[in-house]
Amino acid sequence: MPLRSAPLPRMAGHLSFMRAQTKTISDVRPGDLAVLGVPFEDTSAPFAGQSLAPRALRETSVYFGWHANPQFSHPVDIDARQDISTDGLHERLCDLGDVSPGSEDEIHAALRAATRQISRNGACAVILGGSDRLSETVQSALLNCQTAQLGGTPHDARDFHVAPLPNGKGTTCSLGTTAQLAAFSRWRDVSKPLFVRFDLSVFETSLSALCDQPRLGGCDLDTVVQWLELLGQHEVSVIMLTGLNPNRPGMGVVKVGQRLMVTALLAFIYARLGFGIDHPSSQTSEENVLT
Amino acid sequence: MTAAITTFHPPLAQPGYRLFDGPLRDVADAHADQIGVVGMPSDWTHSSRLGTRFGPEALRRATTLLQSIRPQGPSIDPDTSRRTVPATDWLVDCGDAEITAQDVDATTEAIAAMTEGLTVAGAIPLALGGDHYNSYPACLGYSRGLAKRAPDARFGYIQIDGHLDFSDRLGAWGSHNHATNARRISELPNVDVSNMVWIGIAGWVDGGDLDLIEKQGGRVFSSSDVHEMGAAEVMHQALAHAMQGCDELYLTIDIDAMDAGYLPGTGSIVHSGVTPRQYYDLLDGLAEAPLGGLDIVEVSPPLDPSERTEFLAAEMLFRILRRFRTRSVTEQ
Repeated sequence: MPLRSAPLPRMAGHLSFMRAQTKTISDVRPGDLAVLGVPFEDTSAPFAGQSLAPRALRETSVYFGWHANPQFSHPVDIDARQDISTDGLHERLCDLGDVSPGSEDEIHAALRAATRQISRNGACAVILGGSDRLSETVQSALLNCQTAQLGGTPHDARDFHVAPLPNGKGTTCSLGTTAQLAAFSRWRDVSKPLFVRFDLSVFETSLSALCDQPRLGGCDLDTVVQWLELLGQHEVSVIMLTGLNPNRPGMGVVKVGQRLMVTALLAFIYARLGFGIDHPSSQTSEENVLT
Repeated sequence: MTAAITTFHPPLAQPGYRLFDGPLRDVADAHADQIGVVGMPSDWTHSSRLGTRFGPEALRRATTLLQSIRPQGPSIDPDTSRRTVPATDWLVDCGDAEITAQDVDATTEAIAAMTEGLTVAGAIPLALGGDHYNSYPACLGYSRGLAKRAPDARFGYIQIDGHLDFSDRLGAWGSHNHATNARRISELPNVDVSNMVWIGIAGWVDGGDLDLIEKQGGRVFSSSDVHEMGAAEVMHQALAHAMQGCDELYLTIDIDAMDAGYLPGTGSIVHSGVTPRQYYDLLDGLAEAPLGGLDIVEVSPPLDPSERTEFLAAEMLFRILRRFRTRSVTEQ
């Protein structure tokens, strides 16, 4: 059961992602969405502070924890004028806590092991980074995986990289093109695990000041939501959030980046759990299982 | 009652800022058709990120600085080609209400007493938040004052906001907090929910609250409506809806309807995509509206090290008060 503590102040109570239940990694079941924090940064980032991102993301996520709040009747998406059905969310979303602190080698080893175990259990890992370099460790844990990348620096030509496209006004990108969707469908090989790298730098920098890698001409929120909805309809083994630095110089109190990321991540979570869409395979996780 | 309100005792020199660099006066000294400013430096009724207790001070500073960099004397407002008028007679700053930390009732009555006194005098109370709960005591005093000045009068209500604030209760804060202010206002005797309009609502809302509003005839425009219909058209429809059978308008400006990318210095940020230009267009749509009272809330300077939030909010006041602070070039 969820922690029915949502009526508590956001700054109080046990902090888990969206006030979800906590689990040990061995209890993760097929079809679960298992949140794992990696509060660690290496020297690759230009500014210190990315290790604070998991906690910041969880803090913001509590705002969206209505499934555990008996005071609310039901959430409505005011833009779409549609009810948001979250029945069963608390049974399938769980928070495993953070990877324990240790030496750099120990943290990479723990992250690799956790990724493999969650995937072996048939669940989808939602990893809250942490510096971007950790995603290479996750990638190495998923044998022969395909990587779809939103934001960040492209490393491998075989990856699918969501590149911002000018929207005509020259500021933010839009999804909108069937060519991009078709390209993704052609690229995707369902026999391989799918790894989604979601870096804050996918957003247009004017929307968030908390990114260490500014991107002028990046995506707006709607575009990222559309991409994550699409990706959530696939059997994703791991989605990893990186790039958020809540401690950007002078910007420690500005929560804009984490709100952008959590808002977009919710689109992925709902799509992955099959809320509001007809996606029969979302209840099973055969594609996730590493053999 | 009004005579007993003495929140400001003028010293020989006036330290600090006043809104638009206007004169400091007691509530009892305000007169008809003036804007009467009331500070509400209280954020004890906000549920998460605090700092709006510094909002009134920031708004006073920002409006004064913006005023000072605009041409003084015989100058022309660039958008309207009207002559600007210094705030020497059209606005009085009555200082801050007495805030009693963590005593909601005492704070509510202190704010309401000031806006009531201004309304009875025929002035237009402009209350500076503070978190959005404080909109309720500001409107409560306006409602009481209107009932005394014009017993049969009714007022319409427009709330520009990223959130409905229509919950009956909120967790540990109970019935009086920044998520219940509109609900409490809807219970006042001289307003009806069918004359209440929300503009700029974004993200998720509580379905029960939304149903309650719409079943009683209230109108909700989302941020998507602003994008798709255009800000001017949204406000045109909103004003028509709010003023059906009403004599005056109460406006509450929650700055968080603007996208947090532009305006991060507020307690409950949203990503609505609403730009400063769209927000100003909304306010311009009220240029000739029969304003009876208004407030601006949720300016939280500690949450925005760049200080742009308070200047964006100050510009909102320049917009909504344009007809007071400008005159026709032919008018003396």
